Order: sequence, then structure tokens, then C-alpha cells
Amino acid sequence: MSVVETILIFAVIPLAIVLLFALLTLVPGRAKKARYKPGQAWEHGPVWWEPHPLHGPAAGNHDDAPKALGSSVYQEPQALGSGHGSSAHGSSAHGSSVHGASAATSRPVPVPAGPLGGARGTW
Amino acid sequence: MTRSIEATSHDTATHTTAASRTDEAEGGDSPFTLPELSRLDEALTMSSRETGLRFTLYMGDLGQRTRSRAEELHATSGGDPADSVLLAVSPGQRVVEVVTGHAAARRLPDRACALAVLSMTNSFAAGDLVGGIVNGLRQMSDQAGHPRGLTTH
Repeated sequence: MSVVETILIFAVIPLAIVLLFALLTLVPGRAKKARYKPGQAWEHGPVWWEPHPLHGPAAGNHDDAPKALGSSVYQEPQALGSGHGSSAHGSSAHGSSVHGASAATSRPVPVPAGPLGGARGTW
Repeated sequence: MTRSIEATSHDTATHTTAASRTDEAEGGDSPFTLPELSRLDEALTMSSRETGLRFTLYMGDLGQRTRSRAEELHATSGGDPADSVLLAVSPGQRVVEVVTGHAAARRLPDRACALAVLSMTNSFAAGDLVGGIVNGLRQMSDQAGHPRGLTTH
């Protein structure tokens, strides 16, 4: 085995492998989200997730009155506005009633739920 | 025609449907990727449907007094707070709080919550927030069980 062969096998090939892995890890490829590490600060705003309702609008509810809002074809539900939204009602009144409803439901009143249970943990 | 509609961003949300603004969906402040969000969503929804309790997940700062803040949040969590379970995670403070209403606490005792919290903190300490939350939700919903008269679909 000559000197050139020795260098090729024992120096160049390991160097090539190291460079390959370095490229794979250091290339700024896909923009990944910063992974959470314990102890680092949490800069994101508060988020509150809730489960989907059992008969949500997307799941298709089989009530008598269609609950499609914003469409003049369907009858408006009674709870939303003062009366039925006919096509002559005008969109401004309909819009304001919907906005009022959403503003009322966006901040629910606190309801005390009796003696609370639960647990607490730190890490 | 289509281009002019897409150029202006409409907020299409009504009070029963969510907004379908695709232009703001990406690059937001969400700490999780879309697959992680769908895992969280499925875990929350399925554990709520399985048990009839209402599981909600709060993620963010809980202030100086974490327990009282979590109980305030539980009182405003919507639905019937007696039947709801709040899972509040504050990664910045490294605190997780589970708050159960009095009807939910009958089916989900504090010992079971503590066990779920223990498994969650194990995953959180390893840096796996979503996996810990999903596993904790699964433990709590397994403990609460499926009531006999509940129809889930």
C-alpha cells in the first residue's frame, strides 16, 4: 500500500464523511420552529385551546332550522337578533347583531365551580 | 375577479364559525407546528367527547400566583365550569396546573391529576411539550372514563 493510498483511505474518506454530516446539519434548509428547551424564556403570547363542540357548524347539525349565518337564503336563528332576518332587513342591522353576540360571548362571566380540585407540578 | 377577492383580507368569522383567513395562518405567534397543533386539537377534542368533561388547555404566563390565576381562568373557561378541567401550562415559569370543577373532581380525583401531572412534567423536562400534554390528557380521560348515558355522536 503506497503512501497516497494510505492518505486517501485514512484521511480523505473520514474527512469526506465528516464534511457530509456537517453539511447535513449546518445547512440552513427548512425553516424549523425553535424547539422548547427547559429553562428558556417563553416569548409567545398566551393561548387557550378548547375542544370542538359536539355538534359544531362543520360537523353538520340536523336541526330543523339551518344555522347558517350570513346567508339570506336560510332563516336566521331567533337568538341572534330581534326578529327574522328577511332580505329587506338590511345588512347593517344583521351585522351589528352578530357583532354584539360575538362581543358578548368573547368574554364570559366568571362562574364559580364550587370546591375545586386538581394538581400542580413543576419541572 | 378571484384575485381581487383574495387581495383584500376578509374576516369571515361569525359567532359560530372560525375565521378562514389563510393569509394570517402562517408565520404567526404559535409556538407549535401544524402537525403538533393538530395533535393537541385531537387530544383535547377526543378526551372531551370520550368523558363528557370539558378539557381546555391554556398555555402562557400564569403570573406570580399561579394557582389563583389558574382558578380564575377555570371560572371563565366557558361551558359549565363545574364539569370542565383546565390544564394550564406555563413553560416560562416551568409550572403546570390542573384545575377541576367540583363535578369533574368526583370523576377525576386529585391523585389521578397528580399522576398525570407527574408524567407531564417528565416529558416537559425532556423538552417535549406536546407529547407531555397529549399523554397527560390521555391519562386524565382514561381515569375519568366514559359515563353510561353519554352519547358522543
